[in-house]
Amino acid sequence: MNWNLFVTELVAGITHGSVYALIALGYSMVYGILKLLNFAHGDIYMVGAFIGFGIVTVFGGAESLSVNVWVLLLVMFLCAMLGGGLLGVLIERFAYRRLRNAPRIAPLITALGVSFFLENAALLLLGGQFQSYDSYGWKGGELWTRGFTLPAGVHVGVAQVIVVAGAVLLMILLTVFVQRTQLGKAMRATSFDREAAAMMGIDVDRVIVATFFIGSALAGAAGVFNGLAYQQVWPYMGFQAGLYAFIAAVVGGIGNLPGAVVGGLVIGLAQSFSIGYISSTFSDAIVFLVLIAVLILRPTGVLGRAAVQKV
Amino acid sequence: MDGDDRDIPPIPASPAEAHAPRVGVDEWVASVAERREGYSGVLGRARSELERVPRPVFYAAFGVAAALLPAITSDGYIVRVGFDTLLYMLLALGLNITVGYAGLLDLGYVAFYGFGAYGYAMLASPKFGIHWNTLAIVPVVVIATAILGLLVALPSRRLLGDYLAIVTLFFGQLFVAVYTNGERMSLFGLTRSHDVTGGPNGIPNVDNFNVFGGRIGSLQAYYYVALGVFLLVLLVVFLIDTSRTGRAWKSLREDPLAAELMGMPVNRLKLIAFAAGAAVAGLAGTLFAALNTAVFASDFDVPTLIIIYAILILGGAGSIGGVILGALVVNISLEVLRTPGHATWVFYVTILATLLMALRPWRVLALVLGGTVAFGYAAHAIVAAAWPRGVHGSPSVGGWFGSGLSGWELHPSNPRLIGNITFIALVLAVLALTLLSGWKRWAAMIPTLYLAGFVWENRLVVEPSITRLILVGVILIVLMNARPQGLLGTARVEIV
Amino acid sequence: MLKRVGLIATATSVAALAVVASAIARPATVAAASALSCKSGVSIGMLAPITGPVSSIGDDQLHWAEYYFNTWNKTHKLKIKLVQGDTQLQPALASTVSQSFASNSKIMGVIGPAGSDEVQAVGPILRKAGLAFASGSATRVSLTSGAWKGYFFRDVPNDGVQGPTDATFMQTKLGVSSGDSVMIIDDQESYSTGLADIAGQALAGKGVKVDRESVAQTATDFSSLIAKITSTTKVVFLPWQKASEAQLFAQQAKAQGKTAIIFGSDGTFDSSNFTAGNYVSFFAPDVTTLPADAKIVAGFHKAFPGGTSPFGAPNYVLAQMYAAAITTSCKDNKITRAELRKNFAKVSLKSTILGTPIRFTANGDLAGAKFHIFKIVNGKYETVQ
Repeated sequence: MNWNLFVTELVAGITHGSVYALIALGYSMVYGILKLLNFAHGDIYMVGAFIGFGIVTVFGGAESLSVNVWVLLLVMFLCAMLGGGLLGVLIERFAYRRLRNAPRIAPLITALGVSFFLENAALLLLGGQFQSYDSYGWKGGELWTRGFTLPAGVHVGVAQVIVVAGAVLLMILLTVFVQRTQLGKAMRATSFDREAAAMMGIDVDRVIVATFFIGSALAGAAGVFNGLAYQQVWPYMGFQAGLYAFIAAVVGGIGNLPGAVVGGLVIGLAQSFSIGYISSTFSDAIVFLVLIAVLILRPTGVLGRAAVQKV
Repeated sequence: MDGDDRDIPPIPASPAEAHAPRVGVDEWVASVAERREGYSGVLGRARSELERVPRPVFYAAFGVAAALLPAITSDGYIVRVGFDTLLYMLLALGLNITVGYAGLLDLGYVAFYGFGAYGYAMLASPKFGIHWNTLAIVPVVVIATAILGLLVALPSRRLLGDYLAIVTLFFGQLFVAVYTNGERMSLFGLTRSHDVTGGPNGIPNVDNFNVFGGRIGSLQAYYYVALGVFLLVLLVVFLIDTSRTGRAWKSLREDPLAAELMGMPVNRLKLIAFAAGAAVAGLAGTLFAALNTAVFASDFDVPTLIIIYAILILGGAGSIGGVILGALVVNISLEVLRTPGHATWVFYVTILATLLMALRPWRVLALVLGGTVAFGYAAHAIVAAAWPRGVHGSPSVGGWFGSGLSGWELHPSNPRLIGNITFIALVLAVLALTLLSGWKRWAAMIPTLYLAGFVWENRLVVEPSITRLILVGVILIVLMNARPQGLLGTARVEIV
Repeated sequence: MLKRVGLIATATSVAALAVVASAIARPATVAAASALSCKSGVSIGMLAPITGPVSSIGDDQLHWAEYYFNTWNKTHKLKIKLVQGDTQLQPALASTVSQSFASNSKIMGVIGPAGSDEVQAVGPILRKAGLAFASGSATRVSLTSGAWKGYFFRDVPNDGVQGPTDATFMQTKLGVSSGDSVMIIDDQESYSTGLADIAGQALAGKGVKVDRESVAQTATDFSSLIAKITSTTKVVFLPWQKASEAQLFAQQAKAQGKTAIIFGSDGTFDSSNFTAGNYVSFFAPDVTTLPADAKIVAGFHKAFPGGTSPFGAPNYVLAQMYAAAITTSCKDNKITRAELRKNFAKVSLKSTILGTPIRFTANGDLAGAKFHIFKIVNGKYETVQ
């Protein structure tokens, strides 16, 4: 057995899966509360990635950074999360709020409209060319040359560690927030039953705004993680990523936060292992087959609760 | 959200509660009251008169009007857009069965369309050297697509709502992935690889329709074929709509559990709806392949799906008339907006007409319009004095309108950067506008309107292809917010 | 209130659309045959994926052509207008747009479409309309095999030239011999699969083991594929359209400690983007490094900030050729599509920003197409063949 291949695929899958999981978390949170498939979520991720790219440019560009890498990272994450979160709140306020009691499919089409708008506005403002974070060039590439070596001789760069550790940290923070704080509890209550929550005196509007802010901030962070590990940003990057995050959310059980994380990892690993061991050409097809198999065996996802239909 | 809003039912009265769950409000009663209110006035009376006309009369009128199009114009482009629009109508009609009637969110619909197109292409092209007669191919392809629809629906029938959506979405993706890479297919690596789908190069040189020895080659002929097929399918769908099955589908859509309890064969109904929708898509696919004489997997990807959905939902899911109207609005606006000159007219006329009709009383309208004009000339004069390069360029439209604009609007010599900044400012200004009310809104409207004109002339018109898609996004957002049930859809009560 | 505004806006925009639509629904003359007076300006249609998944290429192609005509219009009385036609790289959409070009009596010629599949789709329509169409990126060999002779042109060499050149270079200079293996990764579109097939066949014919892989054009994570590079893999051949993706691949390969030679095709030829690989082939010297072109390139970047791709500059040359052909056709102040087509086929540019003289063969291919191979040393491209 080729252990090098196996471990490499494992690392690749976990790294990519972490990014998926972060996007999927936001997807799942919004879905849990509004039962809305927010197709614009992937585009928030794109905006986050561009904000990060803008910060790199402001600090002198990849080759000649004027600040310490860690300072840069901190600024990038703060800005991208704040920017992504605000964008999410704006979208909720102006595009979705009026549709809260509308037929389910109306906000879906609105979400597509928002996605069209964001992608093409980005194309208009930023041009269609690929931009690169080029984290390989930051301070002589220390993010990639430094790191540690796993068994079977697989080198893991600091950048990859940051992606995985950062994602885990954000997930832990989110879990603590949802489980422990009052707003988090209100969120859970609202996602369980919006009307009943409203009757119990929960300010549903505020909860929804908070959900959008947090979910979108996570997507913004995912954008920066992606730039860090995979360099490229461009206006249409959100669509594909959003799609994969969507599957991740569903595989894990949509509306279920630990499920989103599990789903993200499953999708990331399924992708990298199918490229490594089966066929790079049909890797997408294989991911879809995994998805369909999961859903047929467990129609509500890996960690999803059995759906109770209310009559 | 103002106090004068007639569209929101009387309860809850205070603006703050308007978005909260309407606890204690009977939505159905509210919607009936709303509708009754809508029937007052001249327009309302005209509307209730119109509703008394049997629907088939409208369909027939549409058929006659559509049949006249190639007689009015010989312009190949217009006939082609007409054909595309009919094809979209046909596709939306099929989707209407699955989504509009049965309420099954099928996001893999476009794969059936592609399957039909590839099916036709494989049976009528030099690819495998098969050249069947069209009358043989079409039934085979349609039945095969229906069976494929059944196969997709079989494992999915246990899935509820959004899980069905996701499985079908990825069925669609699977289709594109397999067909794009189908030039090196082997059976799980066991056999030698074969070229099945032509991969990214697709299948070229597909035969035209060939009926009774006669070849259908001209665009006009295809337009009529598409119209005939569409009207035929429309008739069938209309009959199904009013049949037992149609009613059963709708009850399934409204409440699957109740439908099951009433003894309806829920699973079978779902399967039939899926297969019927797929069959229509397959039929549309054969038309597509025969006109284009080439098929490529990239034609059956998500963008096409989005257009079909936009048509169906904009028009109003569950409404046949809505499908027709939706396709006209979506596809014709996509085409008209392609040309910068036309898009400019649509842009200004829409803004102006909206102001004319929405602003009351008249003095407010006069104030806003006059204010905007004055604001523009003042800004122009100031900038011309302070920064001559700011008035360097010229407007995108010529004629009297353009010369009027040139003294009003600023045209910096290098508008790219400033255009980008003002674009963002415009978006924020429009969003802010929706939050203001009363005189503040009128006042804010003046610079916003000016800004809109500025951004349009300096940035949007320069990149018509991108602008077109931005506008489509805006149209989708505005329209769905204005009429969540679609243009011709009936408002449904969501059961909570 | 807002709801009402929305409804009114919708209704009026529908009405406005209807008015405009009916205004353009005039009885058209047969655009294909009619002569146009040159005084009112001549239009050239541009078919490119301006939006959508490959907008990075389409955007660049559009801007290069636009840039040439903008410069031209500043100094010439005869005005040339570029009409945008966005195809989103969807052949069916390209067909509709082509039909609109065919019906537009001001359009005398077409630049594009970008993809070989699109050329297949629009060929019949443009041919029927009598329009010349010239692509700066469609390289599939069979496109110039006769069906559209005199109508279709390209100023880039086809895959049949590049594939064998690269394969031979790998064997003679890079020491790839029978028993070694070469990984060829296509990016799932027709340029790439065609080139990968040809290069793969040439290598396999010499007993080289070819490991054929593929990734989607939008992929940014190649680590799973890179893990499949083994110690017997001598060369990884990337026939890709995006230099930045190839760069990413090379960077990730280095980070994973792989030492196989990374060899890019002309699509990756971009000395400001693809610097981490080892070899790259191209049909001309680099547009951004030729000293004579520095001014043009600087002007371009001023007008259109951002990067550029190897498939952009050929569109500048096509615009240049159209301008030359239009000038010839307009000597009598009249121009027809047939006239422009004939003159276009005869245009011969002695020097271009691509660094080579450009003219077409009778089939519409680039005459004297030859591939150069460059070695990448410290981010600089050095000609080795």
